[in-house]
Amino acid sequence: MLRFFKGFGLLSVVLLGVVTEPVQAAGDLLVAPTRVVLDGSRGTEVVLNNIGAEPATYRISLEIKRMTAVGGLDEITEEDATPAERTALGMIAFSPRRVTLPPNQPQVIRVGVRIPEGTPPGEYRAHMLFRAVPDAAAAVAADAAKPAATGVSIALIPIYGITIPVIVRVGDLGAEAVIGDAWVAETPDGPAFNFGLTRTGNRSVYGDIEVTRPGASEPLLRARGIAVYPEVGAREVSLRVPPELAAKLKGPVRIRYTEDREIGGGTIDEAERVVK
Amino acid sequence: MRKFGMKRAIVGAAIAALALNAPAAHAASATGTATAKILRQITLTNTSALQYATIISGASASTVAVSTAGVRTCGATLSCLGTATAASFDVEGTEGAVVLVGGDSSVSLAGSLGGTMTSSLTYSAANITLGATGGSFQVGGTLSVGANQAAGDYTGTFNVTADYQ
Repeated sequence: MLRFFKGFGLLSVVLLGVVTEPVQAAGDLLVAPTRVVLDGSRGTEVVLNNIGAEPATYRISLEIKRMTAVGGLDEITEEDATPAERTALGMIAFSPRRVTLPPNQPQVIRVGVRIPEGTPPGEYRAHMLFRAVPDAAAAVAADAAKPAATGVSIALIPIYGITIPVIVRVGDLGAEAVIGDAWVAETPDGPAFNFGLTRTGNRSVYGDIEVTRPGASEPLLRARGIAVYPEVGAREVSLRVPPELAAKLKGPVRIRYTEDREIGGGTIDEAERVVK
Repeated sequence: MRKFGMKRAIVGAAIAALALNAPAAHAASATGTATAKILRQITLTNTSALQYATIISGASASTVAVSTAGVRTCGATLSCLGTATAASFDVEGTEGAVVLVGGDSSVSLAGSLGGTMTSSLTYSAANITLGATGGSFQVGGTLSVGANQAAGDYTGTFNVTADYQ
């Protein structure tokens, strides 16, 4: 029952060494945990913390997102939602939906789930969005460039937030995934390591990727938290890597896709590939 | 240093908040064993704004671009003053975690003395893999400035999210 919270390693409390400018916007935030899976019998809690220097008002909402073939998450409006997606929105309850927090003040958001009688087995998912409301952000961003006598000055205010998936599983579900081809490609933002993941079954797969050179003990590349959601049968995973790593990744490698460490870290798939 | 102190407090508070409701905590009280849940976290911090700075419009329409690296390209008929910057966001969380990042592809700006402009927005990456000190992404854009664009303060808001998958 507690598998989701079990076996957590040390929480990474990292010191950010390079802060070039003082934080000028209200709305900086922390959210924990980063993924919620519910089986319908009990709810959970998510912590939201204002890590900015100013008080901020945050709004919490549920959004529908669909995974794309290249691994992005497209936002879907409620009118375009499928019945299953609407069911997901209906079964997830949470509170509060709006909260004003002074700096460094955490708030627990309670998340409950109610599965209506006769809901078909399957995985139901929504994405919980935590975001400072525009008013709070605008009030602080006003210190943008002052207008010149004859010119125009521009202030663009980002309304920024974090989303985490909230997944409800109904019935006995299973899924498998298979690693496809792997290659290194140039993108406008630098080289990327790419590979395919094909999924079968009636739920999502989620886990960590490790790329190792045969014979070497240290992995060349580690990427955590890679999902293939049920709305896609296959996706591409594209991870940007530094040029020197991109060169090292070419040739024979072993790619391992394992379940999250929290639920045991079992192997989902393992494959030898020659990276082009 | 300030940042470090803050982080510790957050973690402590999160643990306290969650331990209270953990059934294991009740069971443990009889034997004196301490239990605590440590949650994976993500933080998103805005460290710089997307600044086109000050622009003096010309007799014909033109554009000003700020790359995700913060380099400004001023259209031929315009004069650009001040220091331009790309918006930058820091993301911190579990080392190795892949976080999807993105947001609106354009934004409308309204002028304080009337007039409107639009800016397209570009993101430095579609996803970032967090390192030991987290990661960051930048937002640049291209602003369309009309012929003899009305002077004034132009403001607009755009949405940016960091998504865990």
